Amino acid sequence: MSVKELPRKEANVLNGHEGAVLAARFNSDGNYCLSCGKDRTIRLWNPHRGIHIKTYKAHGREVRDVHVTPDNSKLCSCGGDRQIFFWDVSTGRVIRKFRGHDGEVNAVKFNEYASVVVSAGYDRSLRAWDCRSHSTEPIQIIDSFLDTVMSVCLTKTEIIGGSVDGTVRTFDIRIGREISDDLGQPVNCISMSNDGNCILASCLDSTLRLLDRSTGELLQEYKGHTCKSYKMDCCLTNNDAHVIGGSEDGSIFFWDLVDASVVSKFRAHSSVG
Amino acid sequence: MDSDEEDYVFFGKPIEREEEITNRRKKAAAEASGNLRSLPPWKQEVRDEEGRRRFHGAFTGGFSAGYFNTVGTKEGWAPQSFTSSRKNRAEVKQQSIFNFLDEDEKTELESQNLGTSSQFDTFGFTAAEYARKQANKEQKQRPSAIPGPVPDELILPASESIGVKLLLKMGWRRGRAIKDLHASSLYDARREARKAFLAFASEDTKASHPTDFEPVEGEPENFLAQPADDDAQSSQSLPVFVINPKQDLHGLGYDPFKHAPEFREKKRSRLSNDKQHGYRKAISIKDSLFGSKSGKAASGFGIGALEEFDAEDEDIYAAGYDFEETVIEEDEEPSRLSVESKKKAVRKDQGVLRGFKVATVSDYQLERFDPPIIPKDFVPHHKFPGPLETLKKLDVPSPPEVPPPDDNNLKLLIEGVATLVARCGKLFEDLSRKKNQSNPLFSFLSGGNGHDYYDRKLWEEHQKRGDQAKLSLDGKLSPSVQKMTAENRGKLLGEKPLERSSRETTSSSVASGDFVQLQFNLSDTFKKPESFNELPEVAKPFKDDPAKQERFEQFLKEKYEGGLRSMGSSAASNMSEAARAHERLDFEAAAEAIEKGKRGKESLISEQPFDFLATGMQFTSGVQEQVKDTHAENLMTKKMYPRREEFQWRPLPVLCKRFDLIDPFMGKPPPAPRMRSKIDSLLFMPDYVKGAKLEEDLVTNRDVPVAQTDAQKTIEDVAGKEIEVAAENVERPVDLYKAIFSDDSDEDVEDINTKKVEDQEKKIEVATTTLNRLIAGDFLESLGKELGLEVPPDMPYSTNNVSTPTQKETPNGENAILSPLEGRTFCAPKSVSGTSLNPGQETAQDGELAKNESIPGRSVRYSSKYPDGLSENISGKVNMEKIAQEDKKGKSSSRHQRNWSSSSSSEDERSRKQSRRHRYRSSDSYSDSASDHHDRYRSRSKGRRKKSSREKSSSSRKHSKHHKHRNRDSPSRSHQVSEREHSEARKEKRIRRD
Repeated sequence: MSVKELPRKEANVLNGHEGAVLAARFNSDGNYCLSCGKDRTIRLWNPHRGIHIKTYKAHGREVRDVHVTPDNSKLCSCGGDRQIFFWDVSTGRVIRKFRGHDGEVNAVKFNEYASVVVSAGYDRSLRAWDCRSHSTEPIQIIDSFLDTVMSVCLTKTEIIGGSVDGTVRTFDIRIGREISDDLGQPVNCISMSNDGNCILASCLDSTLRLLDRSTGELLQEYKGHTCKSYKMDCCLTNNDAHVIGGSEDGSIFFWDLVDASVVSKFRAHSSVG
Repeated sequence: MDSDEEDYVFFGKPIEREEEITNRRKKAAAEASGNLRSLPPWKQEVRDEEGRRRFHGAFTGGFSAGYFNTVGTKEGWAPQSFTSSRKNRAEVKQQSIFNFLDEDEKTELESQNLGTSSQFDTFGFTAAEYARKQANKEQKQRPSAIPGPVPDELILPASESIGVKLLLKMGWRRGRAIKDLHASSLYDARREARKAFLAFASEDTKASHPTDFEPVEGEPENFLAQPADDDAQSSQSLPVFVINPKQDLHGLGYDPFKHAPEFREKKRSRLSNDKQHGYRKAISIKDSLFGSKSGKAASGFGIGALEEFDAEDEDIYAAGYDFEETVIEEDEEPSRLSVESKKKAVRKDQGVLRGFKVATVSDYQLERFDPPIIPKDFVPHHKFPGPLETLKKLDVPSPPEVPPPDDNNLKLLIEGVATLVARCGKLFEDLSRKKNQSNPLFSFLSGGNGHDYYDRKLWEEHQKRGDQAKLSLDGKLSPSVQKMTAENRGKLLGEKPLERSSRETTSSSVASGDFVQLQFNLSDTFKKPESFNELPEVAKPFKDDPAKQERFEQFLKEKYEGGLRSMGSSAASNMSEAARAHERLDFEAAAEAIEKGKRGKESLISEQPFDFLATGMQFTSGVQEQVKDTHAENLMTKKMYPRREEFQWRPLPVLCKRFDLIDPFMGKPPPAPRMRSKIDSLLFMPDYVKGAKLEEDLVTNRDVPVAQTDAQKTIEDVAGKEIEVAAENVERPVDLYKAIFSDDSDEDVEDINTKKVEDQEKKIEVATTTLNRLIAGDFLESLGKELGLEVPPDMPYSTNNVSTPTQKETPNGENAILSPLEGRTFCAPKSVSGTSLNPGQETAQDGELAKNESIPGRSVRYSSKYPDGLSENISGKVNMEKIAQEDKKGKSSSRHQRNWSSSSSSEDERSRKQSRRHRYRSSDSYSDSASDHHDRYRSRSKGRRKKSSREKSSSSRKHSKHHKHRNRDSPSRSHQVSEREHSEARKEKRIRRD
């Protein structure tokens, strides 16, 4: 994807949420997307046609994150009500609720087989929940973080969490090791590169940092945007050529992965907050 | 569809699909039976022609075997019972196989099979079959040794194949090669006789044996006679298979001569002799025994299955019972000539080993390969490159004995360098020579003052090392470990011999007072040895006060030059202790700033690195105002971060299962909470010392520096994993540790700040009491644990007894060396711990507050440089020993800073983490690897543990609310750099999503 092919134009506006939208996620094949927000709902959209398909209501407070299984049959969501909801996509029913976090739940992810939901909470813990059994107790609590865990990523064998304590911690299940990469700055959002070798961490000093996962080396820093008090998502393009990050002034930034130059930016929202 | 079909014209008969055909057939069959019309297939029953139900069980879609799943019948079932009376004698029931066979099996057995008639039976199959049947019939009539039907292999076809018949008709005789036409009359006669004999013999078994194959029951003479005479000649082209009758008493397949063929020859010759004499002698048992001795018994015999294998037994079963063919090999190609020569050999060549014969023609040329030619200058001794060269250098003639230079310092230096060079090789010498080119003190390296003495010393050291290397060859400890004494190390480190404590250092227990003194001495004695050559001209923060500036330069020189700190050099002897301390702080801060600026310049980004020095910086010791050099800070953070650490983490089995991974801890029991030994706690205390109480203290006198040195880092590195997994220190009353470990740094500062160390006696007293309390506390705690009681948590901590010196027993040699350093490094402020870092509750205002409060702490931080000289020394040394691996890039100028920063921050981090980890561990109690001392904790139930720790944590959290921001920005924070950002972080925690 060359610079010119980077998205610049608004394709569709999905109107419907009453209040702030806290997260928007595509489903696994990219045909649909889910959004969740302060209005305590999760909404399923067809973004290409701009149609609202379904609303999932059960959360008691704002919904902070949502994730879809690879087979698009189940959802999980989390939010301010300290619960993780496990949904059936088609019926819109809650299959299970996982309670146990002592604080708001910031992020949630399915694992590869959609058998485990891993959630990151304000209570400084990552919790893994079993979707297969009927137990609503977490099957594992990782509480080595020193501060709020903001974001979580899963690979086939690892659980990666980014925390406000400035660390990105990788929990390798295969070898039973925890690898902690201290960035020195609160980590807001982490995102894996598509080749799985790097991790992009959005830090609260308005910097995105690209880490080499195997060595823990800082590969690059991406600056220019503002990210000081809000959780701003960041990610890499599908071909890992560009880094994308949101800014608090409502714009989206595109950086070149290698030389960290801002290759594109546009104003997407009026403002954040 | 219909219209479609109409468009086509079909030729011929369409091929029906197979299922249709079978369906139709089934249907037809069902119609024929007439009763299955309506039944679904699983209810239909298969019946045989008599209407009985067949295919019980699975075939019919359900299991119904026998009579209602029993072995009974409709009439009931009674086992056959034996009854016999006088009148009615029970007759012996002859059971035959037909009693047990089904009807169809019987028909199968008795059926007349189609077969080739004997006329066309080219390969003799039918004949063989016939013969087998005959033999079977015969078998039935008379009992035989082997019950059951005769195996096919034993029966040979009675009739000859057509080929044989043809050959016979053409005049061929059995046993002869087909092309051999000259048959001697003698041979023929014998042949006929044998045939007759054979025919006679085979009549018994009703199976004739063609002479191609020697029968099992054949004449015993065959064994020797046949290959020797008749067949030898005739069967040149036809291989003769000899099946030897078993005549001996050995086990089946056992060949006594397997490994001693010479005896076989002997035996054979004797047998033939016997035959010549006309009587057969039984094989003597003695002979066979003898033979069996010479042969190897089948391996594996004689070893019990339960016996353990030794190394030499390993291949016991490897060979297995590989019985080899016992057919005598020579018989395969017998020739008269060879037999005759053999006989000759037996008779004549008595000297030759039996079984061997003298080769007539030796066509086997032995190929020889010469060994590789060794070059003449080859020395069969491996030379090791590098430091071990020193061993070789021993041959170097010793330089003459030289009186040491007058200057004692120089002498010490020379000796130290010599030792190091001897240890590390010539490379070190070159390096230090290059490094210290400008330093007149090191001129002895390049042939200046004291060079001769250096040479001599170096030679001596080499000599010593050589001896030690020799010693170490005898399995002793490694020489470096042996050699290092405190004095040596002191010399290496450039330590000034301590007047008072020098004799005490040799003894293991140091009186508490001396110990304190010692630490003071150390802290004053050690400096950073790195060269800080170019002191930038710009960096004159004290321009207005030339005397002060001079002192500052002196200070810088001392600071960066390394070596001994000149005690008298601080010209401010007229200054008060407090003033001097203040000034020192200023200097530290200024030096820090300068260094930062320098680094900034190096990295080519800074615009005006020393601007702030010239303008805004005021080094006053009260509440320091400091212009934030954010750039430098950024640089620092860049160097500090990202930092990688690794810990053990135990995924639960369920998680592994769900992730479809193999549990790395599979089979290992969940580790019990680790029992911490007293030594551990003593050594690594500062990592765990934490708690909200300290913060109060820190607020009250906030000029407490962080004394974080590499030394501790080193210790931790050495201790490695142990620290990582060590736990269980939170329960310990913090004030004890505080009293013990925090004192040094505190007292350092206090000393600098306000007081003098006049209350020595008091300190000693406190130290001893704290030690006692520590021991008592430890004991109490362990006792409480054993009883399953929770030791009361931290007592409120009073600030008054902060300044107590450490009295520490050094537990082992290694630590003994490091102990003074530890003493210094153990300081409480490090205990800014994670437990109290509650993510909640903090507000932006807190952050602001934090920012404000962090400023006073900042200048103080610089004073933590005092131990840097020490740490540098140690790290330098340790680097050589490959323990500490910080800072590989080794920029000498930035190195100091880097070392400091990394160590301090990592320490801070570590301490936080450890405290966290501790919590983690105590609540989960599985994250640990199996540890050795946990037995004492076994009695405590996990659940209880969990609960208690949870309570504790929650309480601490609650508690820490009050101290939150203080906690965060306590002066000891090593990276205030991120202070502001942390406040923002806190802000962030309340991330507003609106």
